[in-house]
Parts: sequence; structure tokens; C-alpha cells
Amino acid sequence: MRTLRVLSAMMVLALLVGLVASCASPAATPTPTPRPAAEATPTPPPPPEKTILRITFSWPTYIDPAVGSDFSSSSSLCNLYDTLVFPTTEGGVVPNVAESWETSADGLTWTFHLEKGIKFHNGSELMASDVAFSMNRMLEIGEGYAYVFLGTVESATALDDYTVQFKLAKPSGIFLISLVRLYIADEEQVMANVVTPGPYGDKGDYGKEWLLTHDAGSGPYKVKEFPLEEYLLMEKYDGWFGTFHPNAPDEAKFIATTEPATIRTLMSRKELEISDQWQPVEALEALGKIEGVDVAAFPSLTEFYYMVHTKKAPTDDIHFRRAMAWAFDYDAAVALEWPGTQQSQGPVPALCAGHNPDVFVFHRDLDKAREELAQSQYADQLDQYPVEVHWITDVPAEEKWALLFQANMADIGIDVEVVGTPWTAVVEETADIETSPHIVTIYVSTDFPEAGSLLKVRYHSDAAPTWSQNEWLLDDELDAMIDDSLSTVDQKERYAKYYALQDYIMDLCPSLFLYDQIQKHAYQSAYVDFPAARGEVIPLMGLNMFAARIGVTGP
Amino acid sequence: MRFITFIARRVVHSIFVLLGLSIVIFIISRIMPGNPARMAVGPRAPQYVIDELSRQMHLDEPLHVQYYYWLRDALHGDLGMSLVTRRPVADDMKEFFPATLELTLFAGFIMAGGGIFIGILSARHKDKWIDNLLRIVSYLGVVTPSFIFAIFFLLLFGMALNWMPTMGRLSPGVSPPPTITGLITVDSLLSGNLTAFFDALWHLILPGIALAMGGLAQESRITRSTMSDNLTKDYIASARSLGIPEGVIMRKFLLKPSLIPTISILGLDFAGTMANAFLVEVIFNWPGSSRYGINTMLRKDLNAIAGVVLTMGVVFIVVNIVVDIVVGLLDPRIRLAPQRGE
Repeated sequence: MRTLRVLSAMMVLALLVGLVASCASPAATPTPTPRPAAEATPTPPPPPEKTILRITFSWPTYIDPAVGSDFSSSSSLCNLYDTLVFPTTEGGVVPNVAESWETSADGLTWTFHLEKGIKFHNGSELMASDVAFSMNRMLEIGEGYAYVFLGTVESATALDDYTVQFKLAKPSGIFLISLVRLYIADEEQVMANVVTPGPYGDKGDYGKEWLLTHDAGSGPYKVKEFPLEEYLLMEKYDGWFGTFHPNAPDEAKFIATTEPATIRTLMSRKELEISDQWQPVEALEALGKIEGVDVAAFPSLTEFYYMVHTKKAPTDDIHFRRAMAWAFDYDAAVALEWPGTQQSQGPVPALCAGHNPDVFVFHRDLDKAREELAQSQYADQLDQYPVEVHWITDVPAEEKWALLFQANMADIGIDVEVVGTPWTAVVEETADIETSPHIVTIYVSTDFPEAGSLLKVRYHSDAAPTWSQNEWLLDDELDAMIDDSLSTVDQKERYAKYYALQDYIMDLCPSLFLYDQIQKHAYQSAYVDFPAARGEVIPLMGLNMFAARIGVTGP
Repeated sequence: MRFITFIARRVVHSIFVLLGLSIVIFIISRIMPGNPARMAVGPRAPQYVIDELSRQMHLDEPLHVQYYYWLRDALHGDLGMSLVTRRPVADDMKEFFPATLELTLFAGFIMAGGGIFIGILSARHKDKWIDNLLRIVSYLGVVTPSFIFAIFFLLLFGMALNWMPTMGRLSPGVSPPPTITGLITVDSLLSGNLTAFFDALWHLILPGIALAMGGLAQESRITRSTMSDNLTKDYIASARSLGIPEGVIMRKFLLKPSLIPTISILGLDFAGTMANAFLVEVIFNWPGSSRYGINTMLRKDLNAIAGVVLTMGVVFIVVNIVVDIVVGLLDPRIRLAPQRGE
């Protein structure tokens, strides 16, 4: 009896609580109180409502400038920190923290003169020592964008309060542009928050724990809240030395979700301004139908590759590889993507500086495919040499292209096995020449807008045991050409070398170059001024989410 | 006294269960493909950075040595560092587990209350239209995954009707209460912050109901089935022949024995709900340990995987012990059986 009373009471309580909750007004949208008809004394106008820019991202996000390097981290870092130079929409750079610079005749010494009076978020002034510290810290930790500078930068020294000098181990034609990834942190603030003991000797953890959820930057926004797996909320820093968009948002919130149903709901309620770039085509079409919402589609520095193993039978045969390249239906592949997507013209995206516009491009031609296949040593044994294509299951849409490839290869008698593989497994298997599959399908982005940086991670032997290269070319001549081009300081000369590199690579046919990815974001066009949507695209990962240049006047 | 001994024995056995679980999950997580050090530092980090992190994590040691280090630290409350969040796993669990616990408790409340109520209703009106209607609804609840309900509720109540919040635990602008238990509803009540309490409850409704639907349907069917079986028992016929009102028979003689299987299944459902809350947490951007657990598994975050699985293991064990206690209280035969043998 007593038990029954207890259970009954629980049920009643549950119902009551549910009823009370349904009656309680959610605090998110307070209703305004009516003003009295006449007032004796004038009251000051209410403060303007804060504007907020909310963007969804794939997580996790690391806001430590020496750790983060993926899309969400790069988008966050550019808002929290400043760099010596800033990228332009044309792919070059302009002065930013550095107002001028000079380089020695041998290209090994770069000296930057800093603008005076730039303040970090904590009020202290940005000095040359902070720049040197940021570089040295990044090199010592070795994560994030450190690979851009490792092996190139020998030392970073503050010559005086406003002059910093970098000494290079070898001349580098891309050193200046690579500085868009050197985010300048306040040395004093970081070192005041180190935890000891740590893996960096007397530097303890080098401030890594503190920088997980705090910033030590001078950028247009500063961290307000950062519950790690939920969102990053940044507030405007009025002391920023740069120029804000007249309607730059007071707050910027990066939200950790890419779930289509959630994003559609948030967009329709005007609780989200810009969606992430990973929404499937069907979801984007639905978002575009919401009133006041458009889809911004702009080219990116990302290319979709079929990376072909050149040291594993049967794809070790160049005629076999060329046969595949001639047999693939690139038009059908592009049609599966967002309207406006273009077939890639070679190994470098068309938007990337140094792209060779005259590079040879394959197209579907079954006669030529059969001709090439006939010259292959495996021509009479195709049934004994099936080709395995590994597509990444974390991006379900990739299966479509894998199945298309399978169907196309069947037209010339090549057996293809389509294998869905998790990302963690792809990273593991591409680290070893024996375990790398015949083909891996991956989107690869260049970290800064010049062909050389992409060609290095894609085809240089140093990068062979990484996920960004499954080809295993291990070509000494190609390595030498890449190194030579990257160390060429003169831009015109450097680009000419890039062109030659692209021709060389096309001759080797180590990959299929499917398409240059269009970056797609649904956004509230009714009240958001999104420069990328207007065609003002900064060809650098994360920079199109630079909140200081985005205008928000609603909802 | 014997009942207490029984419970104590269960607790001791549980320690061995947890030990076995830790060994199994330790081995499985390490044979999964992917180098966690490489995943953690980024794909373009130099090899020496990967090697250094591998050394720090003892990944270069034999498996049993790795397990020794891990167990030694775990017994001191140190579950290691998460490669995803870059902070101690213990800190992650302190932050994320209460969110899942709160959601699951709310769902459990709905499962228990709603399931038993619907079950009683169905049994009371057995084979009538009410029973048939509730049967269809229950079957739908059992066969439909919770994430389908989650998306449906999100689109209906969040998007189409714009009645309910769709993400997170609190609305922007609502001050969270001081962290005492980590359950915002409880902490709000303890600190007297009613605004946060009602706002948190408001945020719990959609994900909580979505998560509870499957269990609610199951509980209702089991309750209905057990009560229907017991209705045919002789003692019920005797009670009816004595002229005792039907309502009194239902409440006084039928409900208690009928609840035993329901309570047993409820315990399993509760623990299962906690582990399977991942998709609901993703859809509602709920910062819980279930979503955290799946993210760490996808990134092969070894320490976090072990931490999450062990936590879920502890929850399972605790819930099963609680169920045993409750069932023992409901059914005196369980408490008295050893005495009868004497």
C-alpha cells in the first residue's frame, strides 16, 4: 500500500512538473513591458540591443595558436589573434601588425617593423618579443601550423621593441605568405599561466592548459565563454587596431554542431546566421527555401582527389593509371555536387596562386582508356588485380563518387572494390606504404594560397607517410623541383616553376583530379552582410569567418 | 540481515565486473585502427612530436605495461588526459556526465511514471478500444529509434510551432546556478534560482521525452501484460467474490506484484538510455558524456574511451543494485526465502 502511494505520488509529481514547465515562459524571449502614456522626466534611450553572429562548425576547436589548425580552429584563431601580415582576396598579403619589412639579398634574413600601440586584450602592448615568442613556442611544441615553419625558420629574435627578425635555414619564396598562420600571443600572459611540471622543461606545459579556454591575443574578438564541447562565445574587443565592418557583431558564437535537422531549425528561428560547410546538398536546398536565407557558394582552396598508389600493383603501372584517368566520368562526378562546381584543372585548385591554366586535363574517353590499358602489363590479368577504393565514411556523400568510379571502370573491364573506411583508419593505413590502399578519396586544402604549399604536402617524399598523400611517388627529381620552387624568392620565377611542376605531375598521372570544392554556407541574407557571398573571398581556410568584416543588423 | 548480506555480496562482485570491463575496453580500444598520438597532434606534425606523445602515453610499451600504468593512475582518480579536449578525462567526466545523468533521470521519470500509468490503463480496459489504441502507440514507441523522435520533436515543436528551445541546457542570458551536483535543475533549486530551474526544465522536455519513448512503451506493455496475467489469478477472483471494488483490487492487490518485472526492466532501460543518448545529445547539442564518448571513440582517444565506458559500467552496476533493492522491498518472498529454508 505504501509502495503504491509512493509510486502514485511520483507519477502525480511528474505530471505536475510537466504542467508547470509547460506554463513557465522560457526566459530566452522576454516580452517588452508597455511604456506609460506620459512621463514627467525624460528617460535615457535604452542601450542598443547587442548583435550576435552565430556560426556552426565541426568540432573540436583549439584556440591555442600553436595547436589549432583545422577549419574551426583557424576560424577562431583569426578572430582572436593578429598576424604580421593579412591575406587579401587576390591571394597576396598586406601589412597588418607589421607595417613594413625587408629581406636580405640571400633571402635568409627577414626583418619586420611593427606598428606601435597595438594592445592585447589584457591591455599590454604587442611588442617584437611577443612575435619572437609566438614563433619559438610554435616551433617547440611542433603542433598546429608548426609544420609550415619547421625546417625553414632557424631563429626568431626581437632586435628591439618593434623590430623582429627571422633567420631562415634556406631561402623561401613562401615565407612571407606563410606568416598568415603565425598568430601572435602575449608572452607575459602565456608564461604567467604555465603549469609545472610539464613536457617542456622549465616552460612547464607552455601555457597549453590555460590556452585551451582562454586567449592571449590582440584580435578583434576575445573569449567570453568556452564550454569545450558546446560553443565558443567571443565578444568584440573595442581596442582592436584594425577597422571593423560598420555593423560588425558585438558577439560571435561558434556552435559545435553540424546536425542538419538542428541547423534547419535554428535557421528558421533566426537563431543561426551562417551554417557550416558540411551540410549535404539536400539540406542546403531545404535551407535555401527558408525566407530570408540564401546559400553562399564560393570556390575554395580545396580539391577532391583520388589518390592512386603508384607502388602497388596494378596501379603501379602508368598506363593502368592513365586508363583509369581516361575512363572516369568527370562531368557526372561534378553533377553530383553543388551547381557551379568545376572539374579540377590539374593538381592545384584554379583559385590558388600559381595554378597553371594550361595544364593538361583528362576527360572521359573510353577509346583512349582502352588504348592505355592495352599497353599495361596487367592488361590480360585484370580479373586478378582488382582495385580497392577507400572512401571516408565520416563524409557519407563520398560513397556516391566511389560507386561512380566503380561503374566507370567496369566499362573498360577493371574490377573495383568500394570500401567505406573511417577517418582514423585512413590516417593509420596511409602512414605505411604496405597498408596504403590502391586509391583513397580525400579532400585536401592548402593552408595558404600558393601552389607550392599544396604541391609539397601532396607530392613531396617528406609528406608521403601522411593522409594528404597516398601516391608514394618518392620521386627525387620531383622533390628537388618542389624544393627549388619553394626556395625561389622571385614570384614570377617561382610561379613558372609551379607551372612546370604541374605539367610534370600530370605526366606521372598519380591521381585523379575530380573537382575544386565549392564551399557552401546557408546564411541569413536578410540581415547578414557576408562578404564571401558577394564574391569577396579570402582564399585561406577560416578567414571567410572573420567576424570583424561581417555585418549583422538583425534578426 | 540476509538481504543486506545479499546486497553486500553484489557490491563486492561488482568490483570484479568493473575490473574485467576495464581490461576488455582497454584491449579493444588499443587494437582499434588509428594511432591516437598522430590523431591528437594533427596529421602534419613531425614524427618526433608524435613519438614524444606516444612515449608520454606509454604507447611504445607492451599492452600489459600500459594497462598497469593506467590502472595505477585510475586507482588514484587519474583517468589520464583526453587527446580530444586536451585536459584530464576526470575533468571532462565531471563536466559532461551530470548533463547526461540529468537528461536520463528526467527520461527515467517519464518512462516510469508514464509507462506504469499507461500499463494500468491498458490492463484496466483490456481488449477495449483504449487498450488497442495504446497498444499501437506502444509498438510505435518500441520500434522507433529515439533519434527519430528527437528529430520529429525538434522539427515540430522547435521549428514548425516554435514552442520549445532546441539546443543546450539553458537559454542564452539565463545565469547558470553555482555548480553543486552538476544537475542544473537540482543546483537551481538548491541555490534558489527559480528562473534557471524552469528554463533548464524547459530545455529538458524535448530531449527527455524523445529519449524516454522507447522505454515508456516497453514499460507500459510489460505492466499491462503482467497485470493482465495476475488478473486471472485465484486470489483476484476471491477478492472479487468478496465484493471488493475493482479499483481497490487494482491498487491494493494487483499493482504491487505486477510492478516487479517492470521495475527490473526499468533498471536496464535506464542504464541503456544513458549509454544510447548519443544521437539525442547530438541533435539537441546537449553537452553530455554520451556524445563525448562517441566523439572520443571516433578519434581513438584511449583514455577518454576507458573513462566513459567505466563510468557507464558503474552506472549499470549501481542501477542493478538499486533495482534489486526495490524488487526486494516489493516482493517479500525475495527477502524471506532464505529464512523459509531454515
